[in-house]
Amino acid sequence: MAEPVLSVRGLDVAFTGSGRRVPAVRGIDFDVHPNEVLGIVGESGSGKSVTSLAIAGLLPATARVSGSIRLAGVDVATADRETLRRMRGNDVGMIFQDPTTTLNPVLQVGRQVIEGQVAHGRIAAGEAAMSRAVELLREVDIPDPAARAIQFPHQFSGGMRQRVVIAMAMAGKPRLIIADEPTTALDVTVQAQVLSVLARRQAETGAAVILITHDLGVIAEVAHRVAVMYGGRIVETGTVGEIFARPRHPYTIGLLRSLPRIDGAEERLVPISGQPPAPSAIPAGCAFHPRCPVGRDRPECATRMPELALDATGHGSACHFPGEARPARAEPVPRAAAPAAAAASQTTAAPLLRVEGLRVHFPIRAGILRRQVGTVRAVDGVDLELRAGETLGLVGESGCGKTTTARAIMGLVRATEGRVSFDGRDVTNLPRNEMRRVRRNMQYVFQDPYASLNPVRSVGDIVAEPMRIHGVFDEMGGERRVAELFELVGLSRTMMERFPSEFSGGQRQRIGIARALALQPRLLILDEPVAALDVSIQAQVINLLQDLQRELGLAYLFVAHDLSVVRHISDRVAVMYLGRIVEEGPKAELYGRPTHPYTRSLLSAVPVPDPATRATRRRIVLQGDIPSPARPPSGCAFHPRCFRASELCARERPAFAPRPGTALRGACHHPVQPGDVA
Amino acid sequence: MTGYVVRRLLQLLPVLLAASLGIWAMIYAVPGGPVASILGENATPEQVRELTARLGLDRPVLVQYWSWLVSALSGDLGRSLHTRDPVLHLIMQRVPATLQLGLCATLVGLVLGIPVAIASAIWPGSWLDRALSGWSALALGVPTFWLGILLILLFSVELRWLPSASSYVPFLESPWQAFRNTLMPALTLGTYVSGIFARFLRASLLGELKADYVRTARAKGLRERDVVGRHVMRNALLPFVTVVGLMLATFIGGTVVTEAVFTYPGLGRLLIQAIGSRDYPLIQGCILFVLVIYVLMNVLVDVLYAYIDPRIEYS
Repeated sequence: MAEPVLSVRGLDVAFTGSGRRVPAVRGIDFDVHPNEVLGIVGESGSGKSVTSLAIAGLLPATARVSGSIRLAGVDVATADRETLRRMRGNDVGMIFQDPTTTLNPVLQVGRQVIEGQVAHGRIAAGEAAMSRAVELLREVDIPDPAARAIQFPHQFSGGMRQRVVIAMAMAGKPRLIIADEPTTALDVTVQAQVLSVLARRQAETGAAVILITHDLGVIAEVAHRVAVMYGGRIVETGTVGEIFARPRHPYTIGLLRSLPRIDGAEERLVPISGQPPAPSAIPAGCAFHPRCPVGRDRPECATRMPELALDATGHGSACHFPGEARPARAEPVPRAAAPAAAAASQTTAAPLLRVEGLRVHFPIRAGILRRQVGTVRAVDGVDLELRAGETLGLVGESGCGKTTTARAIMGLVRATEGRVSFDGRDVTNLPRNEMRRVRRNMQYVFQDPYASLNPVRSVGDIVAEPMRIHGVFDEMGGERRVAELFELVGLSRTMMERFPSEFSGGQRQRIGIARALALQPRLLILDEPVAALDVSIQAQVINLLQDLQRELGLAYLFVAHDLSVVRHISDRVAVMYLGRIVEEGPKAELYGRPTHPYTRSLLSAVPVPDPATRATRRRIVLQGDIPSPARPPSGCAFHPRCFRASELCARERPAFAPRPGTALRGACHHPVQPGDVA
Repeated sequence: MTGYVVRRLLQLLPVLLAASLGIWAMIYAVPGGPVASILGENATPEQVRELTARLGLDRPVLVQYWSWLVSALSGDLGRSLHTRDPVLHLIMQRVPATLQLGLCATLVGLVLGIPVAIASAIWPGSWLDRALSGWSALALGVPTFWLGILLILLFSVELRWLPSASSYVPFLESPWQAFRNTLMPALTLGTYVSGIFARFLRASLLGELKADYVRTARAKGLRERDVVGRHVMRNALLPFVTVVGLMLATFIGGTVVTEAVFTYPGLGRLLIQAIGSRDYPLIQGCILFVLVIYVLMNVLVDVLYAYIDPRIEYS
């Protein structure tokens, strides 16, 4: 094999800022070769991003680095500042997570793309630099690059910005690209575009890539080799095929089992218990042992740190008992019994929640008289039905109106048109105090567990608040009821006096759920409840939601962008695009035989955590971006991006109607038939 | 852009209208009132009645306000009760002096404040940062009259380089004399305001230095001076422009204490004299003028924003 581009040996990074030494990376070795994609997976705090910053010499001054990092002939760990500066942009290019913040908002895009090369003296500033910038933008499929180069980042969509960042990282033809969560902030169809541009540019330049992500699906799609990090160590490494087919470390096995899969069986998720350690409190011995089914009670695991032992194929794990970790999948656990109840009520009872022709339009006002000059059609004709005990998944990409729909149902935003009925009663735009009474039966769980809890109140108070607002605190049992709620969501009642900042993300989301359950509602509207959580924690919360549904007979409206999670938890699923439902139906049929071209594209864009399907899967990579809901395209809003669109689609909006021969409803002039080639 | 400025100015009308009402109503709020202040204590009731009628103070309140407002809008702010000169004329006499001092003081503040801010933002927590923070605290904490007196003691009394009483000399007429007369008041005000500028810009720079685009710029291999100079500075200037604009507006509105220390003929002293002699039309005129300056400066700052930040579009 050729010389590695990057060779890391015994890398150790600790932060000394707060007076004590906090280890972030604790002795890791790996190589990356030309033309190779090394995927580094890990949850928050695993040390994966610190590793990438160490390689580029970008760590803050409080970091202490030891070990060796050899990148293109330079030892990064000991090199002086000027050598490091010359290395960055020339030998290593970086792609960061959030394209909305990684570009400078006040500088022209073209200049930002090329200024690294100018700084390295490879090209003179001025016209030559600008025309090179235009060329680089063209190479990442930015349409009309000459005009775009003199624009500013806010004039670009998220996916285009990330392609600009790729162009920037590639500008110096570096031998190594480090991509740190490059698609995490993007929608799934845009993620597919960005990954394909990244792969193409890599193939064209022959660069080595380190892809850092928490998303096992993305790893399975693009990585050649994988390193799994936990507690600042690499706990397992091997080829992508080996890692997914024959994982050896209990943590890797646990991660794969806790992942809801778009292609998976209907089994209960097996979460890893506990939560990832903070770098300031890494357990002694094997960092994973407190959460490990194999080593939890073994003194050896608690005292001695296992070394990474590789076999001839380069696959190996850092575990004292590699033979005992069971890679076999869990027995299919019968899913929550709720669907049975739901099925029964489906035929008999009226729906608990019915939404008919819901429209939420926001006026765009301008001018001194604040005249209305346009309309944002956030929700533009949505029909939904949800029965007691049932879960309806509402999926769609950012800006499709799913959250606005949920908020309009709760009466948090005013419906412009249409009807929302709850339990047979019309609750559309009720007066404030009447709506409050309805909300006893209808509660909302928010996405961000960090922002949705008041930081200066104890979590006990937070959970009790809905009962106090409705004046039923004592009636419902007071403190005892709060304690019950804590136990219901898997928290100890001894935690009631604490404040939100003392809890992890997963625990905070449990508190949010306990608060929503306080009034014994019949419907929970869950708005991206697991999107901000690590994979192993996400599985715990999903299981909790399923258990609660079974025990309490709750109905869920589950709003999310993650198609795998939605598939796992829902009975029926509705797909939204630009304010409208484009397809809706029972989960198995919608995921198995979707008829709407958008559903098809969306599903095909989801990375599957199984590298074996990489070669055989056919992907539909949608062109362009989601249009603005202020200026939706004519006819079917999806037609400009649709691979089946005809002239009719541009002219006439398709009706939302049942699809003959299926249990689905959809809005399309040219639905895909089972036999059709997409 | 022109359309935006016009719209902004139109939007300010209600603000100015409300403020003008307040200013006008002062006549009634202050004990004594204009008639007593003109005639003195020994006036006969006939005299009072006659003057009240002559000043139009016996008309309905709203009519009085309306006629005052209409003349104010046409530039007629009335006449000073003492000198009988038109108020607007008196104010305009002082404006060039105030403007010159205000600009110089702001310039001094920027020259002293910006380097301090940059140095302490680049090396936060270093001895330099601590020293500079101490200095900016001192600049803020020392009363301006005291600093002014110290300067006079040093440069006028001890060294005899500069005149102790500053008069207004237009810069274009005699740059050297203008410099000699403006230096000490400008230094006094500028030192004070440099403390504000330094603290504000330092906080703004520190915030921007943590931004993701800074990491991106470093990852491209830019030199640190370009990272700060090209990337960070422009973003950090955005909130800073507001502060500079407001300080400048304050200076143009008159700086009472400093002008008193140096006997500088600015608006601040005019206002103080007017208050001292209960010269109501002059007080009203001065305050109205200061208010208009503030409001215009706000619009100017917003327009500047559009030049610095491409995300802001005025259409």
